[in-house]
Amino acid sequence: MASVFTSNNSLLGVASLAVVSGFQKTIRNLKLALRTTAGRIGLPLVLLHITLTLFGPAFAPFEATELHLDNQLEAPSARFLLGTDEFGRDILSRVMTGARSIILVSVAGAALGISLGTIVGMSSGFRGGRVDEIVMRVMDGLMSFPSLLIALLVLTSLGSSQINIVGTIGIVFTPTVSRVMRSITLSLKTQEFVLSARLRGEPTAYIIFREILPNTIPVLAVEASVRLSYAILLASSLGFLGLGVQPPSPDWGLMISESRRFITVAPWVALTPAVAVASLVVGVNLFTDGLRQAQGLPKGDTL
Amino acid sequence: MNEQSGLGTPLVEINQLAVTFYTPRGTVRAVREASLEVRSGELVGLVGESGCGKSTTAFAIMGYLPGTAQVDGSILFEGQEVSSISPSELRKLRGNRMAMVYQDPSTSLNPSMRVGAQVEEVLREHLGMLSAAAHQRTAELFESVGLTDPERIGRRYPHQLSGGMQQRVVISMALACEPDLLIMDEPTTGLDVTTEATILDLIVDLKQRVNAGILYVSHNLGVISRVADRVIVMYAGQTVEQASVRDLFKNPRHPYTVGLLSCVPKPPREDGATVKLSAIPGSVFSAEEESVEACLFTSRCPIAQDRCSAEAPDVFLTEDGHQSRCFFSKDVHPGIWGEEKEIDVPDHTPQKPVLTANSLRRFFGRWQRKFIFFGPRIKPPVRAVTNVDFKIGHGRTLGIVGESGSGKTTVAGMVVGLTARDRGEIKLRDETLSPDVADRSRKQLASLRMVFQNPTASLNPKLAVRHTLYRSLQKFAGLRKSESRERAVKLLEAVGLDSTYLDRLPTELSGGQQQRVALAGAFAASPDIIVADEAVSALDVSVQAQVLNLLEDHQRSDDTSYIFISHDLGVVRYISDDILVLYAGHVAEVGSAKSVLSAPFHPYTEALLSAAPVPDPDADPTRIRLPGSVPTLRERFEGCFFAGRCPRKIGPICDNTPPPAQTGPGFSDHIINCHIPISDLVQMQQ
Repeated sequence: MASVFTSNNSLLGVASLAVVSGFQKTIRNLKLALRTTAGRIGLPLVLLHITLTLFGPAFAPFEATELHLDNQLEAPSARFLLGTDEFGRDILSRVMTGARSIILVSVAGAALGISLGTIVGMSSGFRGGRVDEIVMRVMDGLMSFPSLLIALLVLTSLGSSQINIVGTIGIVFTPTVSRVMRSITLSLKTQEFVLSARLRGEPTAYIIFREILPNTIPVLAVEASVRLSYAILLASSLGFLGLGVQPPSPDWGLMISESRRFITVAPWVALTPAVAVASLVVGVNLFTDGLRQAQGLPKGDTL
Repeated sequence: MNEQSGLGTPLVEINQLAVTFYTPRGTVRAVREASLEVRSGELVGLVGESGCGKSTTAFAIMGYLPGTAQVDGSILFEGQEVSSISPSELRKLRGNRMAMVYQDPSTSLNPSMRVGAQVEEVLREHLGMLSAAAHQRTAELFESVGLTDPERIGRRYPHQLSGGMQQRVVISMALACEPDLLIMDEPTTGLDVTTEATILDLIVDLKQRVNAGILYVSHNLGVISRVADRVIVMYAGQTVEQASVRDLFKNPRHPYTVGLLSCVPKPPREDGATVKLSAIPGSVFSAEEESVEACLFTSRCPIAQDRCSAEAPDVFLTEDGHQSRCFFSKDVHPGIWGEEKEIDVPDHTPQKPVLTANSLRRFFGRWQRKFIFFGPRIKPPVRAVTNVDFKIGHGRTLGIVGESGSGKTTVAGMVVGLTARDRGEIKLRDETLSPDVADRSRKQLASLRMVFQNPTASLNPKLAVRHTLYRSLQKFAGLRKSESRERAVKLLEAVGLDSTYLDRLPTELSGGQQQRVALAGAFAASPDIIVADEAVSALDVSVQAQVLNLLEDHQRSDDTSYIFISHDLGVVRYISDDILVLYAGHVAEVGSAKSVLSAPFHPYTEALLSAAPVPDPDADPTRIRLPGSVPTLRERFEGCFFAGRCPRKIGPICDNTPPPAQTGPGFSDHIINCHIPISDLVQMQQ
C-alpha cells in the first residue's frame, strides 16, 4: 500500500490496485455464495445465461432464422434437440440466439433505473425540505401508473427500439428505487459521520456518493436484484406484446406469443422460451439471495 | 462475612461460575470465574467496566441465558441448583420469588398497554388476584414507589410518562409479588442525573422496607457507593474484589479497584486543587481471548511481578476482611497508579475571547394550526434555546452542563453551524460566523472542529481510518494525498495509536480507539476551538480518563479552547475552567469553574451538584432533589424559567417576573439568574 502511494505514477498504481482488489473481492464473494444452497443453484443458472449472452449465436447448431420447411412443428429429435416452430426454425438455436437481446436490454434497463433512482432519491433526501417534497410527489405520480402501461405509452409514441426499451425500463424503475434510496439517505444523513463531513466543508456530491453511498450497499444490492428480475419480466412482456425485437430476429417473449396457437399440438415451442425466462429470473434471485446470505456467514474460513 | 446479615444460608450463592457463548464468530467467555453470594435484606453492588461479565452473571442467576451459552460452576438459589430446576418451576420462581429491573424502562413496558393494567396483569397471573384486588394493590404499589396520584398514572400509556416515572412503574412491577431476590441491571443509567438521584433514594428506601436480597449491577462507582452494602468488583469475567462498601472505597485491596477509583474525576480537594486523573492503560482483557494461566490484569497492572504472568491468582481473604484476587493485595495502596498530581492551572490573564455568542435563540418547528394552513394556532414551536450568551477565552475550557432537554446540544449545533440560529450572533475573534456551516470559510471551519458523542457513528463504518485523517489534512492543512500519510501517522501517535491503524476500518476498533481517531481528525486542522458534545459519555471510565487526559495534554501544548458539553458534572468540573449551567434553554449560572461550584449557587446548580453521585460512601447526605423533569418548552416562561421545579422558590415574584442577572461576590464574571438576593443565597447554602 505504502509503496503505491509514494510511487511516481501513483494514480495508475491506485487504479490497478483497485481493479485487482475489486476482482479478488468478487471472487471471494462468489466462493462465499457457493456455500449456500441458493447460491449453488443460482450461480450455475446465472453463469449459463451469461455464457448464452456472450456465445449463444456462436454455439447455436443452426442460424436462428434458418427455415426448414420440411420440418415444421417437429417434436424434439436428435437433429432438432428442442424441436422446431411453425416455420421449421430450430427452437434451441432461437432461444440461444435470443438470450443476448433480452439479457442486455434488461441489465441495461435495470442499471439505468437504479442509477437514476439512486441519484434522484439520494439527492432529494439529502437536500430535504420543499425540493424533496416536490420531487417525491412527482415520483409518486409516476409510480401510480402501472409500469406496463407507461412502457406501452412510451414505446408506441416513440417507436420500439432496443435503446427505447432500455430507457423505458429505466424510467419505470426510477420512482421505486428513488423511494428506497431516499429513505435510507434520510436515516443516514443525521449520522455523525455525515455531520462531520459537513463540518469539514465537503461538497454535497462528495458526501452523498463517498460517505453515504457505501453505507447503502446492502439495501442497494437487494433492490438491484429485485429490479433485475422485474426488468427481465418487463422486457419479455414487451416482446410478447410485439414491442421488442422485430421478427424474424428471435425474442423469447415474441416466441411465446407467436407459438401460443400451437400450444396444444406443439407445447415445446412455447415452453422452451418460457423456461428460459423463468430460469433466468429464478437464477438471478437465488444467486443474489445466496450472496446476501453469505454476507452473514462467519468470516474466519472464507477461502 | 457481612456483620449485619451473617445468619442463615445465603439467598443466592454462586461458585466458580463460568459462562461461555459459542457463536459462529468465535467463542466468547463472558464470565470466567465468578463467585459471590447475596443474602436477604442486603444490597450487593456488582461493578466493573463494560465487557466484564456483570450482566451475564445477573442473567445466569435468573436462568435467562440463551441455548448457545454453556454454564459451568454452580448457582444456588436458596440452596437449590438453578440449572436443575425444571423450566416450568423456573418460570414460577421468576415471577414470584425473583424479579429483575432492566436498564431501559421504555423497552421493559408494553407500549400499547396502560401501565396500571400491566402491573395488574402480573398480580392476577402470579398471585391469582381478582381484578378489584389487583387494582387496589397496584395503586398501593405505585404509591410505595413514589408515584403520587396512582389512579391517574395507572391510566396512562408508557410514552406519556417520563423516564423516571417509567422506571418507577417497572420497579413497582418487580416488587408486585414481593420477591425474595431483586436484580437491578443498571436501572438508572439512561436517566438524567436529577432523576437518577430520586430513583437511588427510592432504592435505598426500598432496601430498608422490603426484606429482599438485591443485586445491583452498575458501571458507575458513585451510584454503587450510594446504594450498596457490599460491593463486588468484576474484571474480565472474574470477581476480583469483594468487601463492604466502606472498606472497598476507603481501602481497596485490588489494583483494578484502585485504578477504577482513580479514573473517576473527584471534587477538588480541600485546598482547591484538582487532582490529575491517573488512567488505567490499555483496555479490558477481551472476552474473546482464551483464559490463560496468569492474572488477567497483569498487562495493565502497575505492581505486576513475574509471578503474576506465571500463575493465576486465587481469591485470597485479606486481613481486613476483603476478598481479593491478587497475590500482592498487601502491597496495594492508593498511590500505585502514580502519586497524586495536581493540575497546574495556568494563570490566564484576561484576554480577548476567542469565541463570543450573544443572545442565541433557536425554536424548533412552527406554530401548528388547527386546519393545517388556517384556523386557530394550537401548538407552539419548541423553545429549545431562548436566550444564551457566553464567551470562551484563549486556551480555556468552557463546560456546559444541564439535564437532557436543557439545550446543550442545540447550543453546540449553533456554534459549529449544524443547527441554524433564529437570532443572535456568534463571533470568532472579530469575524461574525454565518449560521449555516455551508456558508463558512475554510479557515473558519478549520478553527472550529467538533467531536461527537458516539464514536462508532462519527466515523464512516465503510471507510478506513486514514480516510478521515487524509480528508481533514487535505482540506485544512492543504496537504496533497501523498503528503498526508506522514502527518496522519504523527496525529495518530499524538493520540496514542500507531500507523497500523491507518488501514483499519472503524468497526475493528474499540470505542476508546474510535474516539481517539475522531480526536486526531479534529486535531488535524489545528483548530482554535474544539466542541466536544458528550465526547466521553459513551466510554468506560478507564478509557474516559485516558481521553480526558489526552484532551488536557493537547490543550497544554497547543492552547486550544474547548467547549465541553456533558451531563456528568464530575467530568465537567474536572476539565473546565469556566462553566455554563443551562436550564430549559436559559442560562442559570455562568462563571469560572471555581465560582460556579462554590456557594452561592443558582438553586439549579445546587440541585445538580447534590444529585451527582460521588464515589465516596461517606458523601454529604444533605441532598436537594428536583421533582419531575425539564418542561416541554412549548410555553413561554412568564417568570423565572426554573420556577416550576425550584426547591428554593420565594414567592409569586418567581412566577411572574423574569429573574435578574445578579453578579456573584468576588468574581465579576460570575452571573446568577435568580430572584433570591446573593446574600440570601450565601446564607441558605452555607
